Amino acid sequence: MATTGEPAAVPSTGTPAPATTEDATATTGSGRLGPPPWLALVFLLPALLFLGAYMLYPILFSIYRSLWDALGTQFVGVQNYVELFSNPSTFIALRNNVIWVVVAPIVVTIAGLIFAVLTERIRWATAFKVVVFMPMAISFLASGVIFRLVYEQDPERGLANAVITTVQDTFAPSAAYPDARPRPDAPLAEAEGGGFEVEGEVAPGDTVLIPLVGVQSDELPDDAETAVAAEGADGTVTGTVWLDFTRGGGGEEGAIDGSEEGLPGLEVQAVSGGEVAATTLTAPDGTFAFEDLGDGSYTLRLAPANFTEPYNGVTWLGPTLITPAIIGAYLWVWAGFAMVLIAAGLAGIPRDALEAARVDGATEWQVFRRVTVPLLSPVLMVVFVTLMIYVLKIFDLVFIIAPGSVQRDANVLAVEMWRVSFGGGNDQGLGSALAVFLLLLVVPAMIFQIRRFRRENS
Amino acid sequence: MSTAVKDTEAPPAPGAGTPHRSVASRIVGRIGSGAVQVVLLLIGVFWLVPTLGLFVSSLRSPQDNSASGWWAVLTEPSQITLENYANLLDNAGFVSSFFNTVLITVPATLLIVVIGSLAAYAFAWMEFPGRDWLFLLVVGLLVVPLQVALVPIAQLYGGVGIYGSILGVVLFHVGYGLPFAIFLLRNFFAAIPRDLLEAARMDGGKEFTIFRRVILPLGGPAIASLAIFQFLWVWNDLLVAMVFADAANQPMTKALQSEMRQFGANIDVISAGAFLSMLVPLIVFFAFQRYFVQGMMGGAVK
Amino acid sequence: MPESTWRGRGALAVAAAGALLATACSPGAGPGGGGGELSGVELLVAAKWTGVEQENFEEVLAAFEQETGATVSYESTGEDTGAYLGPKIEADEPPDIAILPQPGLVQEYAEQGALVPLEGDAATALDENYTDYWRELGSVEGEPYGILLKAAHKSIIWYRPDSFEEAGVEPPATWDDLTGQTATTLSDAGITPFSMCGASGWTLTDWFENVYLSEAGPEKYDQLVAHEIPWTDESVAATLETLAEVWGEEDLLNGGTDGAVQTDFPTCVTDVYGQESAAMVFEADFVAASAQEAGATVGEDALAFPFPAVGEEAPVVVGGDIAVGMSENEGVQELLAYLASPEAQTTWAGLGGYLSANSAVEPEAYSDDFTQQLASTIQEAGDNVRYDLSDQVPSQFGATEGRGMWSILQDFLRDPSDPEAAAEELEAAASDS
Repeated sequence: MATTGEPAAVPSTGTPAPATTEDATATTGSGRLGPPPWLALVFLLPALLFLGAYMLYPILFSIYRSLWDALGTQFVGVQNYVELFSNPSTFIALRNNVIWVVVAPIVVTIAGLIFAVLTERIRWATAFKVVVFMPMAISFLASGVIFRLVYEQDPERGLANAVITTVQDTFAPSAAYPDARPRPDAPLAEAEGGGFEVEGEVAPGDTVLIPLVGVQSDELPDDAETAVAAEGADGTVTGTVWLDFTRGGGGEEGAIDGSEEGLPGLEVQAVSGGEVAATTLTAPDGTFAFEDLGDGSYTLRLAPANFTEPYNGVTWLGPTLITPAIIGAYLWVWAGFAMVLIAAGLAGIPRDALEAARVDGATEWQVFRRVTVPLLSPVLMVVFVTLMIYVLKIFDLVFIIAPGSVQRDANVLAVEMWRVSFGGGNDQGLGSALAVFLLLLVVPAMIFQIRRFRRENS
Repeated sequence: MSTAVKDTEAPPAPGAGTPHRSVASRIVGRIGSGAVQVVLLLIGVFWLVPTLGLFVSSLRSPQDNSASGWWAVLTEPSQITLENYANLLDNAGFVSSFFNTVLITVPATLLIVVIGSLAAYAFAWMEFPGRDWLFLLVVGLLVVPLQVALVPIAQLYGGVGIYGSILGVVLFHVGYGLPFAIFLLRNFFAAIPRDLLEAARMDGGKEFTIFRRVILPLGGPAIASLAIFQFLWVWNDLLVAMVFADAANQPMTKALQSEMRQFGANIDVISAGAFLSMLVPLIVFFAFQRYFVQGMMGGAVK
Repeated sequence: MPESTWRGRGALAVAAAGALLATACSPGAGPGGGGGELSGVELLVAAKWTGVEQENFEEVLAAFEQETGATVSYESTGEDTGAYLGPKIEADEPPDIAILPQPGLVQEYAEQGALVPLEGDAATALDENYTDYWRELGSVEGEPYGILLKAAHKSIIWYRPDSFEEAGVEPPATWDDLTGQTATTLSDAGITPFSMCGASGWTLTDWFENVYLSEAGPEKYDQLVAHEIPWTDESVAATLETLAEVWGEEDLLNGGTDGAVQTDFPTCVTDVYGQESAAMVFEADFVAASAQEAGATVGEDALAFPFPAVGEEAPVVVGGDIAVGMSENEGVQELLAYLASPEAQTTWAGLGGYLSANSAVEPEAYSDDFTQQLASTIQEAGDNVRYDLSDQVPSQFGATEGRGMWSILQDFLRDPSDPEAAAEELEAAASDS
């Protein structure tokens, strides 16, 4: 017994026994220390049971299950895998996964590299890193909720669009009457290049009525007054632009009825031969007048600027932008991870190599490109591969950020796998095929990991 | 506390407050330092503001939230109210989902640490046939997507009768946490000086004793990293809970998710709930940053 | 429909809406007092209801417990009943009775062998209290499985009376009036006519069903449900074209097309009654709860008119939840028989927030005028009532987020220019499921 080197004599209470002569003989006897293999099994057993039950068995079972139909009663061979590529819904998921895998790891790695390099330059680098790394600590669900709020369409509520529209509005302020329009049968037509044109031509001395609708009376400017028909005057084109809608209904179309209000501040143009000859604004009662118009005939136009729709921001959560939008959220979550790893790599670069390059007359940019990046490349590779593994399995962010109406457009394999097997699809055969397919996709990463590990430990 | 992130990355610890004049810093030397400061400041704001938005939204009534953006509180601070939180804490469903999260997270973390460190010790310091191959298998399993196990384990649980239970969720997390745990700890344990082990064995220490007296104390930092990492991982999990926890046993993430379909209408519940669910991770993160970062990095770099 | 699981407020409002117009009559304690033939029996019932809806249902169950001595516990399935039950069936641990939100699920589960057919008293109760149509609805291959327990009236359009007054319009009687007179005048008055709930795909299927039922008639409707006619049948494209009269008009929709697709239920209701940014919202009777929550008083500043006739007759589409037995345990059939009885449903009607499809439940059983009216339109429409189509077809096609009808109709709402193409997509999705 003793010769095996097993410290059998030590009391199991854990109190360190004083070295005795018996121990001394044990060690001298075998010349090799260490416990017997069976004891290793004791230490390993719980872990092996878990790994067997939760990883090895499921892999085998999933492969098996993927060859059977939805109910698991009929053998269908590779039918589920065919379905995977032919079903439009899984196909979109597949396509999106490709976009994700190509774009997201690169974007995040580059952001991490830039942050890591830049933070070396500032005193408050630590604070910056804490802030950028923080999203790693919270759940993807919470991050998803955070970005759902950011991406809200309505600029009144969604931060991203609020910023964009504020910037936009400082350059192109929105108009007073974006919704105003003529009735279909009114004597107005949409003008080329926006705005509306009064049908027929006018000459000085004429008076025109220009009825518009589509503005709620509460939304009128404060100075609006009851509309009046403009009085004609010699040598002057006059008219009234008013809201041709009587509150509560009833008024006659195209006529100024008692309580109808004028549309003040509206820009009216007199156009002659395609050129704007004169411009005027309406008064609070909606009237306008072009004095000093030369003789001739004119077309009256309500300038497009009156009706410019307010810019409503970007449809982040619509079908076209949803995947880029979610990748944006993904960047927010993972950039800190990339930054911290790359910063650690940067700190480990030997200075000599760079000094040598500088002595050779290289510019800083060349040093960065030719020396730093190559020296960093193992770290960059690790960051990149790790991100790729996580990107392949991305689930929560997509599931949470994409609203129901674009879930299909945002779909990825992991979400599809859940939906097909548990989220109402009830087809665990196809679900298993998707799971096996995901597993196949990570095999290259698995090989990369194993080879790296063996290299480092050889 | 804020020095922690830094500690983990730069082996030559930078002096307090003095920027570390490394090579990379000279690379950007040509760029005006002022410009860098501004750019990073903007990025920092960009990283902070969305979370702030969630927090402020959670302090506003649903009516205010549907009428205007959270930044409206800048002009109308009176909008701030704790009512959403009061309602949430008053709600048995939410409170029980919080406790479910705790009941899932704590045992899962403990089990991973215990089972993982036992196995890691065996891999690091015990001789047995096939050890290297077995460890390579563990390395390979690191990247296995958990989607592979959803269908098989759901059926298995059905057979055993723990489907929908907290136990089932816990065990699943343990299964998927182990490869990482073993990998991280084994590498750390292997770095413990051989002399210490030999000395203990020479003294006739039993393996369990050595494990407890020598390995665990020395492996403390690595174990802490692992524990914190797993704690946050399990706490934040949604997918496993969605599949394996039924309504009575659901953690906060799943409960919140079920509110998402009516995001606009449930924003009061969602924002306050999401923020509460973030609170514990944020506390853990700020208190144990260094360990967390190490844990996070452990999976990627050795 | 779906409400928050974390608050009682939504469902509370349903009850409040009921209690509003008349005081709720005191809940009946259930008939008989047999006493204990099922004592010691434990049953588990699962449904999606939470909050007050759950409390009311539990009250109905309590009467059964008193009567029989059984213990019935209730479990909420969360919003997605399919996602809750699927794995449970897989694991062979289903609840004793489940309340399914769609007949499509009844068929799916029956085919999987997960359901127990109605027998004895339960089968008799179904025969006695329900019309043929409802009996068929819960049957698979002639075998009765389900009882339509709680109905939802899906053929009403809610509006804000003050906006109608401002524009001087009346509730329309025909679709042409709705899109012509009513919507145009509202729009002229600067009031956006419709608030759409496009982000919640099921609301779009409800639009489709009402127009289709009225335009193509009940026979075609049934054929389409059974997929005896393809979705490429011209009647489908015709209905889509009719829908485009509203869906295609940016000016008629709150927030334009983008707003229409991105607004979920019940935010669309809040937009009408809270933000007052639109005049009408189409959805079922349960809008009352959300309208109430948005600050409107149902019956005063939240009113509804029947979905107008597109073809000959105005449609009456009903949705609802179906009770099925999922185990052969003792007491399951008894409880199902009780749930199908007019007694149980009359009790429930008195509690509010409930509508029955049971012909033996008198309109007087309801605590408010509004529900009474809804109940009588269902009874009056008689054989022409139809159950929600999207809930009868396989759930992958008709009731899954991001799939089938939901997403195709959402795409059509986004761009309604090509009804034929949309019909073809629908056909492709329907054949695939």
